[in-house]
Amino acid sequence: MRVLAIDTALAACSAAVLDTESDQIVASESLPMVRGHAEALIPLIARVMSEAKVDFADLDRIAVTVGPGSFTGLRVGISAARGISLATAKPAVGLTTLAIFAAPYIAQDDTLPVAAVIDARHGYVYMQVFGRGGRTLMAPRIAPLHDAVRAASASPTRVVGSAANMLAAAWPSSEPAPKLVEESAAPDIKWVARLGVTAIEGQGSPKPLYLRSPDAQPQDAARLPRR
Amino acid sequence: MFVLGIETTCDETAAAVVERVDDKRPGRILSNVVLSQVNEHAAFGGVVPEIAARAHVETLDHVISKALADAGRTFEGIDGIAAAAGPGLIGGVIVGLTTAKAIALVNEKPLIAVNHLEAHALTARLTDGTPFPYCLFLASGGHTQIVAVRGIADYVLLGTTVDDAIGEAFDKTAKLLGLGYPGGPQVEKEAVRGNPQRFALPRPMLGRPEPDFSLSGLKTALRLEAERIAPLSDQDVANLCASFQQAVVEMIEDRVRTGLHLFNTRYGAPTALVAAGGVAANQPIRKALHRLAYDAKTILVVPPPELCTDNGAMIAWAGAERLAHGFVDGLDVAPRARWPLEEVIGMRPQVAYRVRQ
Repeated sequence: MRVLAIDTALAACSAAVLDTESDQIVASESLPMVRGHAEALIPLIARVMSEAKVDFADLDRIAVTVGPGSFTGLRVGISAARGISLATAKPAVGLTTLAIFAAPYIAQDDTLPVAAVIDARHGYVYMQVFGRGGRTLMAPRIAPLHDAVRAASASPTRVVGSAANMLAAAWPSSEPAPKLVEESAAPDIKWVARLGVTAIEGQGSPKPLYLRSPDAQPQDAARLPRR
Repeated sequence: MFVLGIETTCDETAAAVVERVDDKRPGRILSNVVLSQVNEHAAFGGVVPEIAARAHVETLDHVISKALADAGRTFEGIDGIAAAAGPGLIGGVIVGLTTAKAIALVNEKPLIAVNHLEAHALTARLTDGTPFPYCLFLASGGHTQIVAVRGIADYVLLGTTVDDAIGEAFDKTAKLLGLGYPGGPQVEKEAVRGNPQRFALPRPMLGRPEPDFSLSGLKTALRLEAERIAPLSDQDVANLCASFQQAVVEMIEDRVRTGLHLFNTRYGAPTALVAAGGVAANQPIRKALHRLAYDAKTILVVPPPELCTDNGAMIAWAGAERLAHGFVDGLDVAPRARWPLEEVIGMRPQVAYRVRQ
């Protein structure tokens, strides 16, 4: 199986091609960036495909991170993935950024829980906790930092993701320190590709996982009273 | 040539396939799919950018599929992929442009990044084959402009609004009076039963030598009148709508007449006065434009309502016109929230990205 992986959810713009026959990432590129994904992504995919010497027609699926992350970033990656899926008639699968952050640590040791956390700004984090065998102990959610710390520190845990240091800094002194704290700014694109191979094709195309509703209130205030 | 066009700059997710034969003939619309988000935004009395962006990303690929199916074509039978790259709500623009880039990359087709206003400006050529140069009056919820359209990528802004767009003023009036969204058709409907002389509202900018518009003073005057007599009866609402609409019509008459005069002085007689944007669907405004065109010894061209409001066909057509002139864009082209029409240029540095060159 040949998988094209795409990630623009956080502070990087990345793509990779994985060939399961040789079990190798045949091409990969990741540029750190906070903004500018919309300009950078498609040329980057073109370079990666060219380096991989793979035609779009020879892809078997497209894997993309669906969030949580920057709303704009998510829409860049998902638009690209769904556009390529439409043009190639190959399925696209979505993966959460939290699962990608946790994946390498679960692969190393799947007995010790992993808390994946992403800065959601304004004192909030997105988080997911994985237990034995990589099973989800706590589904992806948005939580105030202190609630997240309380949940994560309940058992011996490894803390990973873009807000790992933030969580560790707020760790209660009464609880045993995390077994490991490793922060990374963006998911590893190679793991997006690897998890993309085994991801189950869902109903329909990947959709953003925002975990936050749009910031809008119905406006009736301007309306004048009627007789 | 056949071009796929994608429009996502506001609250319509749209795609279309259009054919362009040559410089003289009108285009042929093979499909024109528009998915309106009006229900998603109705409760807010206006378009909420984040809600719009969320809707675009979940529906655009289906809309494109349907546009291709309706046209009876596959990507192989398309010569170029056009998308509105701005101006507009950036979240939606990013979705449309990125999708277009992805399709262009996979199919090795040229990408055309179209200015949304340019697409409105060229629609009269799609529908009527209107030759250059013509005078465009573009009025919608987001834009109010008088433009000299002299050729592809040759647009001169003659006048614009210094504050609100005309469509926006209609929407705000509807919101104030508790009418539905979008406000234009609601205000027009109420105005039919109203007395346009009942309230003395100002006609901003009347008689000014530059063909510019201003709506905020009129909007405020309307609000003050309405607040003064609130609570409002049904007849009050009708009278307010009629008085408001009459003020807008008179302002448009004066401002567009000034614009046509300026056009004549600078470029000679226009081949037509072209109306575009949702505001042109308003019947009293349309009548006023007819009179103006007649007085200026030219004709009025108003595309049908479904091509006056946002749609994919106008993007596909503008893309086809640009492609016919060799104007194409690189896959790194940036989406633009702000992109004035007069900044639209022709040839840009071409960066061709191809797999396996």
